[in-house]
Amino acid sequence: MMVPVRCFTCGNVVGEHWEEFKHRTREAEDPEDPAEVLDELGVERHCCRRMLVSHKDLVDIVAPYQ
Amino acid sequence: MELRVIDKEETELAIEIAGEDHTFMNVLKGALLETEGVTAATYDVNPEQSGGQTEPVLTIKTETDVDALDALEDGADRVIEKTEGLQDAYEAAV
Amino acid sequence: MEDYEVQFVDRSERSARFVVRPITPAFANGIRRAMIADVPTFSIDTVRFIENSSVMFDEQIGLRLGLVPLTTPPGEFERGDEVTLSLDVEGPETAYSGDLVSSDELVQPADENIPIIDLKEEQRLELEADAVLDVGKEHAKHQGGVAVSYRHLQAVEVVGDAGEFDDEEPEILRGVIEEQAADAAVETGGYEPENGQLVPTEAFEHDLTNRYPGKDVEVTDIDGAFVFDVETDGSFSVDELVVEAIGTIEDRATELKESIQL
Repeated sequence: MMVPVRCFTCGNVVGEHWEEFKHRTREAEDPEDPAEVLDELGVERHCCRRMLVSHKDLVDIVAPYQ
Repeated sequence: MELRVIDKEETELAIEIAGEDHTFMNVLKGALLETEGVTAATYDVNPEQSGGQTEPVLTIKTETDVDALDALEDGADRVIEKTEGLQDAYEAAV
Repeated sequence: MEDYEVQFVDRSERSARFVVRPITPAFANGIRRAMIADVPTFSIDTVRFIENSSVMFDEQIGLRLGLVPLTTPPGEFERGDEVTLSLDVEGPETAYSGDLVSSDELVQPADENIPIIDLKEEQRLELEADAVLDVGKEHAKHQGGVAVSYRHLQAVEVVGDAGEFDDEEPEILRGVIEEQAADAAVETGGYEPENGQLVPTEAFEHDLTNRYPGKDVEVTDIDGAFVFDVETDGSFSVDELVVEAIGTIEDRATELKESIQL
């Protein structure tokens, strides 16, 4: 659905970086390497990195069934 | 913090310190063991699920000429010395 | 008063790494636990929904709001104090944590780009929320410290030369070392070898063979020296968190002393 606000494991705030991460790795004209984007965003631990790497926005998909 | 004395002799003390957990009890025990006149200090806590005594119980034994309750006060003083010292050292390093 | 030495390895607003010595394991652990569970932060606890026509239930939005870190200046509030915030966003638009309007300028969302909910055409979210000051022991959303840990400072001793025909296997080490064998070390990651210097293992990519090429090394923990790794969720700075955490232990010792004297 929506990106989790915090990392499930350590409690670090990851939601803050979602839109920039999504834009730079998926929507930009020449997408960057997700690993490098995460490094630049300061999302260092692998528990926090998986939160963003494995997330999929689903609001657009459920919206019609509201 | 509510205190309840369970057992008190001249050189022995068992006291329940309600509302505390390992965070403070272990620091206090560590400080007591460094305090002069204290021969033994330990504490015991049980998990909530045990259904029995769940508040920490501190046990102190002291040398013959030292009152156990005074030793506890000295132990608390020692904790304060440590916290003040570390706060000052941290602020000096910032 | 007890004498301590504190040395910073890294330091920024929200994260820091520092060495403390001489400190007992009991005291080090007390501080770590206090940073996680005993330093209070504001967090949204009660939400009154005026309108929620989004695709998420009220409870789901309440959960997300609770996890948004709010700035909590130390010493200004008492545990249990409340601050009211409001949010009013109409679709098509995404509601962000930065859209929360606080009634107290000291208590604001620490991060402003956290998406709360994506609103479509004709969807609206309007609510009023009460943030309460409480400790991490009560609920994890009140934890100010994130991934707070400590480990021993380590010393590396060169015990001889590596055998000429030995396999070149990496010697992995994580943490911070205190340089004690500068003669055998090479410069890595901008750390010129100098005895007594603190070198994070990142400087040599966590591999001792990069720092001490061709040498046989032995690693030992340094007694009474601990490296703390502290990070906050943005509620306050690392400095405030550390000082407040030590303060909570001191408060309890003072309270104990007063209770005995009665």
